Amino acid sequence: MSITTAGPAAAPAAAAKVETPFQRFVSEFAASKLALFGLAVFTMIALIAIFAPWIAPQNPYDLAQLDIMDGRLEPGARSGDGTMTYWLGTDDQGRDMLSGIMYGLRISLTVGAGSALIACVVGASLGLLAAYAGGRTDSAIMRLVDLQLSFPAILAALMILAFLGKGILNVVIALVLVEWAYYARTVRGSALVERRREYIEAAHCLALPTRRIIFRHLLPNCLPPLIVVMTMQVARAIALEATLSFLGLGVPITEPSLGLLIANGYEYMLSGKYWISFYPGIALLITIVSINLVGDHLRDVLNPRLKK
Amino acid sequence: MIGFARAAGVAAISTVVLAGAAQAQTLTMAVGAPVTSIDPHYHNLSPNNAMADHIFDALTAFDPRARLTPGLAESWTPVDDSTWELRLRQGVRFHNGNDFTAEDVAFTLERVPNVPNSPSSFATFTRPIRSVEIVDPHTIRLRTDGPYPLLPTDLASVRILDRETHQNATTEDFNAGRAAIGTGPFRFVAYRPGDRVELERNDAYWGQKPAWQRVSYRIITNNAARTAALLAGDVEFIDQVPTTDIERLRGDQRLSISEVVSLRVIYLALDHMREDGSPFVADNDGRPMTRNPLKDLRVRQALSMAIDRQAIVSRVMQDSAIPAGQFLPPGSYSRIPDYEPPRPDPERARRLLAEAGYPQGFRLTLHGPNDRYTNDARIIQAIGQMWTRIGVRTTVEAQPWTTFIARAGRQEFSAFLVGWGSASGEASSPLRALVASFDRERGWGASNRGRYSNPELDRVLEAALRELDDEKREKLLQEATRIAMDDVAIIPIHNQKNVWAMRRGLEHTARADELTRAQDVRPAAAR
Repeated sequence: MSITTAGPAAAPAAAAKVETPFQRFVSEFAASKLALFGLAVFTMIALIAIFAPWIAPQNPYDLAQLDIMDGRLEPGARSGDGTMTYWLGTDDQGRDMLSGIMYGLRISLTVGAGSALIACVVGASLGLLAAYAGGRTDSAIMRLVDLQLSFPAILAALMILAFLGKGILNVVIALVLVEWAYYARTVRGSALVERRREYIEAAHCLALPTRRIIFRHLLPNCLPPLIVVMTMQVARAIALEATLSFLGLGVPITEPSLGLLIANGYEYMLSGKYWISFYPGIALLITIVSINLVGDHLRDVLNPRLKK
Repeated sequence: MIGFARAAGVAAISTVVLAGAAQAQTLTMAVGAPVTSIDPHYHNLSPNNAMADHIFDALTAFDPRARLTPGLAESWTPVDDSTWELRLRQGVRFHNGNDFTAEDVAFTLERVPNVPNSPSSFATFTRPIRSVEIVDPHTIRLRTDGPYPLLPTDLASVRILDRETHQNATTEDFNAGRAAIGTGPFRFVAYRPGDRVELERNDAYWGQKPAWQRVSYRIITNNAARTAALLAGDVEFIDQVPTTDIERLRGDQRLSISEVVSLRVIYLALDHMREDGSPFVADNDGRPMTRNPLKDLRVRQALSMAIDRQAIVSRVMQDSAIPAGQFLPPGSYSRIPDYEPPRPDPERARRLLAEAGYPQGFRLTLHGPNDRYTNDARIIQAIGQMWTRIGVRTTVEAQPWTTFIARAGRQEFSAFLVGWGSASGEASSPLRALVASFDRERGWGASNRGRYSNPELDRVLEAALRELDDEKREKLLQEATRIAMDDVAIIPIHNQKNVWAMRRGLEHTARADELTRAQDVRPAAAR
């Protein structure tokens, strides 16, 4: 939606001086107010997550700091010993919801970004290999991708976690195993197109080593779609982690992520104690929407077919 | 105009009253656990036993406080050390008109161990019986190997069938209704597995007749759906009210709640087996320890003393439990009177740890299920808070029951939360299963997953199990309980309450043994 406005805006700038591709990208991206807003929100969330141990009123993972007698307090209530105010209330264990959300964001973002990055490396490597090698290697890898994609992600993740057991690391492994196929398929598609281009032929004529051709010539030209897929997959991984935790298969109960915080409060919904589920749910929603706003616009900016 | 309105109002009220009277003949109730069979000897499971209590009777019965009362037997006395004589009630008839006699008792005792494919057999209750002697149609003698004081208690779980009717009856015959004939307060009408059982009153019942002409006993396993069915008026009575809903239901003017402390104790088991280090205990730097601190009585006392049971009961359980310092709740046979749980005292707990040589505490992982007992995962987190405060830095791990209990049974944990329901309502059940030295052949310590072992306790328990005199036996069971509790063999947390909810205008006699039965529900006395 923003490209039509971005085009004319970028054109005079291009006339004034020669732009590097990166500069062009930045100016095109900045043309969408909505995407900028998403980026700003996401940056704030990321900062909160990174600095949570210093800014959170309480360490919600330290059982010694929780007091069961402060359980299920309403937003704005003071703690029993009068030392702090629970601005967003407490859950059933007396955990400050505000701190819980800050630390929960940490887990969500770490798991989301970590799994997306690892899956990207694994998937992109396999995709490039498939496209470059072709033949049987290509068929083998792509059949594996088909097999992987034929399972619903949540089902596959549940099976993997049932096998591996709980824990943050296992959640990351499960998410990587579920998501690598998307990257592999995307990269293979664009690599197949790129490898027939003249610059690759030229590289071949120069007898450059295969590794160099793949990573220095082929990969950089496959990056734009990969970046778009990755932003989308980060949001997806965060949602999937929340789902797994909600189902009780993700993180340990004493170190709740957003999904587990929501699950903890879910049973109290009928009793009118809305805040235990509500605020972590809002935090999750804002995070995913902000990433998707950025991702959507990135797709528009980086897609050559949409360029005029 | 006003006069007309008033007349109309009176008419409306009288219609409501009449409708109420007609309705009072039928009771629609919903239970949370499915009835899996109508055959009373097929599957020893609380929901099945509750259903069987409608249609059948046993020789003895439990009252709401789980004390033994007469059933089809009017009295039972030991004739000598290994013989019990039971006098049977006269004039009792089965639903099809057949007389109830000693022949039927002998037939029933023979059938119980021979029901094919039983997932959980009732044979444990008849196994101690060596032979049966019919003295006359209403007197029977049962012989055991040596003194067996629990026989009358065991017989409360054996529902009596008719020799003529049930000679070749299979479990399918019961489920289809052909053989669902007993002496109980209700006659069987229909059974749809997973959905409902329909019953009607047995007007020829020998005991107190139930208030309901018809009963629809529905099965709604989903907690939210069951509560919603009550709120919507689809059913008038539900069991297993989730603790998270209790507060809301209590505040609803249209409903009332009935509750009773159950025979189920929720407790922590500790690793008593290993001398040198326990798998989930580590020093403050995370290194495994060279000796198991849980073997030290002072450490166990400190861990028990650190727990604020009242806080768990009020905050986590929303008062649907009472703090426990021993196996059985107040009012039970063989409970030690005035033996209270230790007062929470973190200061003293820390001193005890220091005396035991752990002034800085240690690290521990507390395990528990997350889908078995009411609020199980929440309870272990709360205990984790309390232990961490006295310097035992606790990590909490909750798992699904099937995984958890398999690992607990292989002694993989150091400390873990489990529960025990004493179906017989007396201390011999938990003593024998939870704290007696593990002995596969005698069937002792079958659920003693921490492998606690104390020869003194075993000796007293052995004596109790051979004592036929109820008063002496109670003293011995109390002594054995005291030994276990003074030695902190386990750490009792609380006794759960069973909670039922019903529309206002009904009255319910809550039972400690968790059974939900239509004969315990009546229209409330007019006020």
